[in-house]
Amino acid sequence: MALKQIKSKILAMKKSQTVTKAMEAVSAAKMRKSQLKALNGRAYAKAAVSVLSRVSGSRLFSSLPLTTERSVTAALYIVITSDKGLAGALNSGVLRTAVADIQASGLKKDVVSIIAVGKKASDFFERRGFHVVHHANTDHISSEFIDTVVRQAIQRFLLGAVDLVKIAYPNLISTFEQRPTMRTILPLTLGELQKVVSDIVPARGVATSALVESTKKVVQSYSLEPSEEEILEMILPKLVSIFVYHALLESQASEHSARMVAMKSASDKAGEMQESLTLKFNKVRQAAITREVSEITGGMEAMAS
Amino acid sequence: MHLVIAKVDEVLFEGEAHSLTVPGTAGEMTVLGEHMPLITTLKAGELRVHLTVHDEPKIFPVEKGVLEVRRDGATVIL
Repeated sequence: MALKQIKSKILAMKKSQTVTKAMEAVSAAKMRKSQLKALNGRAYAKAAVSVLSRVSGSRLFSSLPLTTERSVTAALYIVITSDKGLAGALNSGVLRTAVADIQASGLKKDVVSIIAVGKKASDFFERRGFHVVHHANTDHISSEFIDTVVRQAIQRFLLGAVDLVKIAYPNLISTFEQRPTMRTILPLTLGELQKVVSDIVPARGVATSALVESTKKVVQSYSLEPSEEEILEMILPKLVSIFVYHALLESQASEHSARMVAMKSASDKAGEMQESLTLKFNKVRQAAITREVSEITGGMEAMAS
Repeated sequence: MHLVIAKVDEVLFEGEAHSLTVPGTAGEMTVLGEHMPLITTLKAGELRVHLTVHDEPKIFPVEKGVLEVRRDGATVIL
């Protein structure tokens, strides 16, 4: 390879390394931000769970419309991915989990509806001919947005249009590990709820122990106004919002961590490439010089004799 | 009493307060410290929080929500 070509390759590597390094730094900052946001959401989850733990003991809990299990003839899947790629196997993992779950349920495509959050999810399901009822980008997660998604899910469930609502998202285990997770959000069951709460109280984070303690606290006797049923009716949709909000946060934190790691390995790789290219460059240059020197000395020898 | 007012995605208020007035479904009510434990639903209106006895109240609009009162404080989730 000619010297000039190698030189331009090294330059190109340098440029892409600058880009991947910048993306890594940006993702790291965004990751910290989204983890902070997750911490903020805990006060709400904590309060809702503590209210629920006062009222959930009763038989009433499993007899409400939102908690009654029905035989499944149609299902709604909320699938959360990122808008952009370059985040390793993050999105494909979630999408694969969702598709596998749909296939395992034995439901046909025409009875499965999808709420796709994130461009990757909506592209994926639209291309495969699923019925995408709502899609949104992830760049601004607001309480209005959560409300819309939750209201849609609850409405469909209560009207009987779907008998099951599930949510698929990448759960952040650590910066290096994100696990695609599937949860049933409707009908609400106590078991599933406890799983989600234990997700919200992960091994990481500062507020962990406080939350665990408060849910274990001795139950005081509460007076309930106006009635247990009405309180449950008010609090159950809120629990669904917590599910969804929590999934969105996890997904965001996962996205940024995954991208940070992906970009880090890209930067490392670019560095390695630069090194090996520089080595090659020097070898070729050395060879050219040696050749020139031997040509000159050869010429001199010829003239002298 | 320790008061927390939280929405799903943000904490609107957290700290010590003197009293909290809420539009309960069963009528407006004011909660002071050492109130008996209570859970009640809220209807549309506004929350008024007094940090001290005579100050201007902080006002938070509410559409619906749940109030939980414990011996050591109160939590409103909107």
